[in-house]
Amino acid sequence: MEGQRELRNISSPDLKDWSACMRELSLHILDAVENSLEAGATFVELAIEEDLAADWLTITIRDNGRGMSEEQLARISDPFFTTRSTRHVGLGVPLFKTAAERCGGDLTITSQLGQGTTLRATFQHSHIDRAPLGDITGTLLAVILSGSCDLHYAHRVDGREFAFSTEDVRAELGDIPLTHPTVREWLQNFINEGEVSLQRQD
Amino acid sequence: MKLQEISQQLSLEVQSAAGNLGKEVTGGYASDLLSCVMAKAQAGNVWVTIQGHPNIVAVASLLDLAGIIVAEGMSVDAATLEKAKEENVPILTTSLTTYTVVGELCQLGIPGVD
Repeated sequence: MEGQRELRNISSPDLKDWSACMRELSLHILDAVENSLEAGATFVELAIEEDLAADWLTITIRDNGRGMSEEQLARISDPFFTTRSTRHVGLGVPLFKTAAERCGGDLTITSQLGQGTTLRATFQHSHIDRAPLGDITGTLLAVILSGSCDLHYAHRVDGREFAFSTEDVRAELGDIPLTHPTVREWLQNFINEGEVSLQRQD
Repeated sequence: MKLQEISQQLSLEVQSAAGNLGKEVTGGYASDLLSCVMAKAQAGNVWVTIQGHPNIVAVASLLDLAGIIVAEGMSVDAATLEKAKEENVPILTTSLTTYTVVGELCQLGIPGVD
């Protein structure tokens, strides 16, 4: 499934394959980033922190979108609340929150109108029901190749870190646009290698 | 009934431990939450799930399950199959939904654990 992931057309009311979220946390991440883009974000910061000693996995997604009012924020975990007009239920945040709570963690969202939104999900790393991160490469590719926003990504596992920003990538590519066919393969390799470098070396 | 016969009746695809399908299946259990499986499934049960990560092999091995049916056409990680071969845990796949698999198992006389 790697590399085949795409951002949903934000105006389309299609229902996602939510069953796959039971298998991969990266699909929750993709959904949260889609929410950021729908909120008009031009910048998204995604941080995945794995602290094995403290046994926590923390996923933080921060955007500069239009943000939410207190009232919207209070209802964000209600599956019958959505800002979309194309369907009347939004499952993304409630399912993400349920997954975190099931694993001894939590999901919190802070937001300010006109400033942006920060979503933070925590999981007990070793919890038996914690799904693996899954296809992070495919998820990042979908976000980057959509070209809709700048992305700052950081993945830390204990002391090791893999981080990059789309600004760095653009600088590296020079005049070649992100959408050029060879860029996809280059990016895929770049991200794969970065992720592999985080694996335990034993 | 043995897993071998279940596999044939439901046209399952055997992905690992093809030589270990001869144990008598004592019952069935279905869940995608590993914590539920740990709490409820019994030794010799066949377990129906859509999970495909390596932890399913650990659970099946710990509980001495007869085997795992991964339903809904879900993929099973390469690392999972490798582990399943090492642990001799049969993993069988099908495009049938979990509901249909469980229904078929019931019709074959495989009881639930309650």
